Parts: sequence; structure tokens; C-alpha cells
Amino acid sequence: MEVWDLLLQGFNVALEPKNLLWAFVGVTLGTAVGVLPGIGPAVAIALLLPLTSKLDPSGALIMFAGIYYGAMYGGSTTSILLNTPGESATIVTAMEGNQMAKRGRAGPALCTAAVGSFVAGTIATILLTLLAPQVVDLAVKFGPPEYFALMILAFMTVSTVLGDSTIRGLTALFIGLGIGVVGIENQSGQARFVFGIPQLADGIEVVTVAVGLFAVGETFYMASKMNQVTEKIERVKGSILMTKDDWKRSWKPWLRGTAIGFPFGAMPAGGAEIPTFLSYAAEKKLSAHPEEFGHGAIEGVAGPEAANNASATGVMVPLLTLGLPTSATAAILLAAFQQYGLQPGPLLFETNAPLVWGLIASFYVGNVMLLVLNLPLIGVWIKLLEVPKPQLYAGILVFATMGVYGMRQSAFDVFLLYAIGVMGLLMRRYGFPTAPVIVGMILGPLAEEQMRRSLAISEGDPTIFISRPISGTILVITALIVLGPWLVRRLRLLRKA
Amino acid sequence: MKKIISGQLALSCGVLAFGLFFLIGSFQIPDAAGYSTVGPTHVPRAVGIGLLLIGGLLIWEVIRGGFRNHDEAAEQALTTDWLAFAWVSAGLLLYGMLIERAGFIPASVILFVCTARGFNSRRWLLNGLIAVVMAVGIFALFNYGLGLSLPKGLLKGIL
Repeated sequence: MEVWDLLLQGFNVALEPKNLLWAFVGVTLGTAVGVLPGIGPAVAIALLLPLTSKLDPSGALIMFAGIYYGAMYGGSTTSILLNTPGESATIVTAMEGNQMAKRGRAGPALCTAAVGSFVAGTIATILLTLLAPQVVDLAVKFGPPEYFALMILAFMTVSTVLGDSTIRGLTALFIGLGIGVVGIENQSGQARFVFGIPQLADGIEVVTVAVGLFAVGETFYMASKMNQVTEKIERVKGSILMTKDDWKRSWKPWLRGTAIGFPFGAMPAGGAEIPTFLSYAAEKKLSAHPEEFGHGAIEGVAGPEAANNASATGVMVPLLTLGLPTSATAAILLAAFQQYGLQPGPLLFETNAPLVWGLIASFYVGNVMLLVLNLPLIGVWIKLLEVPKPQLYAGILVFATMGVYGMRQSAFDVFLLYAIGVMGLLMRRYGFPTAPVIVGMILGPLAEEQMRRSLAISEGDPTIFISRPISGTILVITALIVLGPWLVRRLRLLRKA
Repeated sequence: MKKIISGQLALSCGVLAFGLFFLIGSFQIPDAAGYSTVGPTHVPRAVGIGLLLIGGLLIWEVIRGGFRNHDEAAEQALTTDWLAFAWVSAGLLLYGMLIERAGFIPASVILFVCTARGFNSRRWLLNGLIAVVMAVGIFALFNYGLGLSLPKGLLKGIL
């Protein structure tokens, strides 16, 4: 079969010693930033974007992807031992895993999370391998209107499906779109919102925005609000290995979690939050010990962790085949491709097959490395959790400012970083999601380009988006996703009346 | 009449202001549409209008008792430590002012010490020492290892 030939070629790239090294650096950094509060994969990749000028594309992208899925492994360690989920997708793990840790079962909780992540990551990569060529075959038929419709779908799902409020999600999205507009527009050459400031003419760097919102905003929030709260790190006592019974209770949740997580990631709907909750609910229902849920049931860690990882790998399907990022980290990965002048999508599979397949093959390799890093070496990561907050956040800010300043050697960017950091603090304080800002600023200019191309084809007739069957269908689905819940509520109210 | 949460109201007005900014700004971009019917002004205008609409909806929510699905009480229960905020702010703003004049190492050390103080750490000497080691390490790695040059500033003669 052709897919396996391509994958084999990919392994030739991924197993080159230098790429193995980059994969290892990536997954190690990924685990570290996943474990550490205050810095996540989005910030880590953004800070390393300047390295793209020094590294070849396959090495850099393999490392960045390693950071992305490595952080999923590291994140579970923190939520089990600290009960402060770094990201919403690990809330469930934090609930059940931390309960296990409190009962002296931290070891098996960490073990089922790591092995579950490995099982899910590997199966999801196999699914990605099989599915990607199919989507590519479909996507070559897409024209600008279809891409525009898909991007609108991604915008709406990222900002409305995730998070607590549609309006606040849309606020974040539009602010991101606004940030994306700043700079010299590349089709007409017009300067937009530049105000004669040369740094703005080149546009606002994604590094500045990501680091400002996530790292600086988080530091402000932790310093001004959370410093009163003391956290307790649970100790890992006894063996970290699972008992025979633990294995028996874990393997089915791993598989079910994968089955739930992958489709959620692979659809442009994205997001790992919903599948982890679904998996938790499913395990609770199917478990022989439902009474243990809430008091440290191993199924409640195994299932959601697998769902989280499978969904993270699933996100690679729309990113690689369509160029559609559905999370903040995926958007920054897209920015990394753009640094090399590459645009993910069906064309990339044709013109840069070794690069794309090398990247996919590196997921298999990286997951094996992560299993080793997160089981025998778990003690090293627990040490990281013990770094005291003042020095941890001070260190994060030193790295953050260095990355932002170093991107283009401009002090202006440091002040911009400060302003965006304050915005991040306000967004966190008032419950606005931040991921849509990043997706909006990166995908916005691409959507604008596709919209203009479409309208050039139709000679200015906007009905082109609805009259073409595929783009029309996508837009109808988008409308249903956004308005559906509201309509259902209205109908119920009417029926009651 | 429900109590209006002033912070939420101010923030919603900020969103309105952003919308106004983009809308007005879009009229100052020369429209060189040419043969393609959508020029560089359309998206900024849509962003402006969108933000105005959203700002209006947010104010509507605030008037009706506050943002939906947002636990304002929990946030207000955690008092904001403005002194901590000021320390971290000072660190970042000083960094911006000093990075090109004093150089990477002094700017980073000041940022580190100020941020740590923001988190209530008063071990100035220890923090300063960690900061110096870290800044020198990063400087060496980037300038000599990766060839990305960071400003030497005051230490020009030594480094």
C-alpha cells in the first residue's frame, strides 16, 4: 500500500540521528513545560520560533511537534500531584488523579496516565496516518470558497464551543482578528493601523501575543490573585507500577478514551475539553465500581488521559491536511511552518512529502521516548514541581522577554508584551478564553486572502460561498453549531409555554 | 434592579472602544480595491462592527446582572494584590527601558528580582545571584552558541 511506503520514507527522515535528537529535545522540553505551571506548549514553541532561522524545517518541526504532544504527558503529572490543572483538558484528570494521590496511589495514577497517553498517542498516530491521505484526496478539490468556509467553521468552533460563553469567546476571536489586521497588507501593500511606527508595519509578532497572553498574563494573575493560595504537592509513595488489577481496569478505558478523543481532535471542531468529560462520564457509567468515582477511581484517570492525548494527535489531521489550526498551540505550529514559507495543506503532501511524513513518523518515535521519560524518570519531573513560585515565575519572565526581544531586537515589542500581558490578566480575571485570540490572529489573514480570491472568482458576488455545495454545507453546519444550542433552548421554552 | 459590576462594565466599554478604533481606522486606509472587489478596508471594518456589536451584548449582560457563566463572587473573594502587580509591572517596564541602554544581563537581573519580589520573596541576595547566573548562561548560549545576538550594553568591554 502506498501509505505504508510513504510512512516508511517518513521513518527514514525521522530516524536520522539529528532528527532523533530534535525529537528527544522536543519531547523533553514538552514534558518540562507541561509539568511547570505558568508556561505551556504554546509559549514554549513561540519562544523557540527564532530558531527556525538556524535549523532545517524537518528538524525544527519535529522538535516543535514533540513539545506539543510532550506537554500532554507532562500536564497529567501536575494535575495528579498538584490538583491545579494547567489547561482545561486536564480538569478531569486532576479530579480523579489527585484523589488517588491523596490515598497514596500517586504511582499507579501517574503510570496509567503515561501508559494511557502512549497507547492513545500511538493509536491516534496510526489513525492519522490512515486518515491524512484520504482528507488530502478530498481537499485537493477544494477551492478558495471551501477553504474560507472551513476557516469560518474553525473560528466559530474555537470561540463558541469551547469556553463558558459564546459572547466572550467571540470577543477574544475578534480581538485576535484585529491584531492580525495590523501591518502591511500583502495583497494591496496598504499599511493598516501602523501609525507610522516601523515595528507595526511588519505586523504584531505571534510570539509577543502568545507569550503576553499566556506567560505574562498568567504571571500577573498568579502574583496578584493566587499568591495567597498555598498548594500542596502530593508525595509519590511506594512503587509507581500498576498492579495486575490496575491493568485490568485501565486497558479498556484507554481504548475507549482514544475512540472518543481522536474524532473530536480530527474534526475542525477541535478541543480536548469535551472528549475528556465525555470519556469520564462513559467510564463512570461502565465501571464495575461507580462508587469509587470522585474518590480516586483509576478508570477516571485512564480514560480521560487517553482521550486528551488522542484528541491532541487528532488536531494534526486538520492542521496538516487543510492548514486549519483548532487550538492555540496548533496555530503557533502553523506559524512555524510559515516561517519556512510552507503552508500546510494538500499541496504540502505533494511537494514536501518527506517533510510531512517524516513529521508523522516522528510522532511514533516521540511517543516511545515519552513513555520512557515519564515512567522511569518520573522523579526528575516531580523535582521540577518543587521549584518555588517566586523563582519559577521570575525565570519564566526572563525567558519570555528574551524570546520576545530577541525575535527582532526591538524594545518596542517589550512594551507591547507588557500591554498584552495586562490584557491577558483582565481576560483571565473576567473569564474570557485566550486561545481564540491566537487562532484569530494567525488564521485571520489567511481567511481574508481566501475570501478575496473567492470574490475575484465570482466577480464580487458573495453568494459564491453559499451556492457551491461543499462550502454551502460547511457554512450551514457552522450556523447550526453556533445557533443550535440557542435554538433548542428557545424551542423548549416555547413548548413549555 | 440588579447591582451592576463596575469592572465588567468598564471592560465591556473597553471592547466598544476597540470596535470604534477599528471602525474609524478602517476609513483611514486608502482603498486600493482595483479589479478585486474586496479591498484592504473590508476586514478591519468587519472587525470594528463585530466588536461594537459584541461590546453592546456584553453591556447588556452586565446590566442584566453580570457576565453569564462567570463566577464573579469567587473572583472577588480573592483580593487583588496590587503591590504584587506593581512589582511585576516595574520589572517588565524597566526591562523595556534598559535592554538597549544597559544591556541584556542587567535588564534581566532587575526583571528577575522584581518579579520574585512580586511573589513576596525578600531574599534579594539569593534571587540576585540566581538571576546573574541565569542571565549570563542565556547570554553565553545565545551569543556564542546559537549566534543570536543579545545586547551587551554596559558590559560591552567585558563580554
